[in-house]
Amino acid sequence: MNKKKVFNLAKGFRGRAKNCIRIARERVEKALQYSYRDRRNKKRDMRSLWIQRINAGTRLHSVNYGNFMHGLMKENIQLNWKVLSELSMHEPLCFKALVDISRNAFPGKKNVVHPPKKVSIPVSVWYVGRFVSLVSLFELDV
Amino acid sequence: MASQAASSFNGNVKKALAGLRRINLEGLRWRVFDAKGQVLGRLASQISTVIQGKDKPTYTPNRDDGDMCVVINAKDICVTGRKLTDKVYTGHLKERTLKDQMAKDPTEVIRKAVLRMLPRNKLRAERDRKLRIFAGGEHPFGDRPVEPYEMPPRQVREMRPRARRALIRAQKKAEQQQQGGNDAKKGKKREQTAEVAA
Repeated sequence: MNKKKVFNLAKGFRGRAKNCIRIARERVEKALQYSYRDRRNKKRDMRSLWIQRINAGTRLHSVNYGNFMHGLMKENIQLNWKVLSELSMHEPLCFKALVDISRNAFPGKKNVVHPPKKVSIPVSVWYVGRFVSLVSLFELDV
Repeated sequence: MASQAASSFNGNVKKALAGLRRINLEGLRWRVFDAKGQVLGRLASQISTVIQGKDKPTYTPNRDDGDMCVVINAKDICVTGRKLTDKVYTGHLKERTLKDQMAKDPTEVIRKAVLRMLPRNKLRAERDRKLRIFAGGEHPFGDRPVEPYEMPPRQVREMRPRARRALIRAQKKAEQQQQGGNDAKKGKKREQTAEVAA
């Protein structure tokens, strides 16, 4: 690549790596290698994040992630992980319905997860963006 | 405001309130953990989950969204086995056993336990600031909406046969000593009460 292209890609780099061609060329090469690798890693990281979110959401309803997924698979619900995590964040009632479906798929399964006790203190309305605001709006049993 | 409200709290109120302004408290809950009779590591693991915000479905790894955790009765924390004498906290060429540390500062035990369970990243210091530990049963945050945290029930495994026999022996010994003491000192009184009853 010619120098102009290199310097365009080296914007925001630290120290001499954004100004001096010899150093910038090395750093830009490395940056491109990282971006190639991370385009593949991003898919893994996002899936891991979705799983953590789904886990947190289901544990509020006293089901853990494994049992929840098992129930969904049995009921042949083919929602993908991204959608499930979005539901758990923004649509608590819908997610609760899904958890109930999954729980009823295996009626005899013992309850392993203990959800946090319901709060008797009234939950004040916080600004949107924080999880608790949605819960208070719908008065969920959480 | 908080210091006046918690007049029963005798302790370092300034230290307890330190650094609260740095935390963006909007939308966070205040959870109270009672450490009385809890096993150290198991409690610390639950606290670390709550402090990271991993029990909320809106968990985001680059943003710290954990709840404020208040721990009370830190001096009543339990450990299994011989950890009271054998667990050692090491510094630079210095060592301190759990027993000494509890005598010196019981809050440090829980703080270290939780801190070492948090992921080592840039959010670790912020999360440490969200953790407030008190040795006694009082905390100065009474005016805020605090929620008690219910620990999940613990499956205690059966005692090993040797330990169980040792426990039974110790119990029998204690009973015998008590009975022996009663007979020697209060023998007369016992006879009198028996007479009165009869």
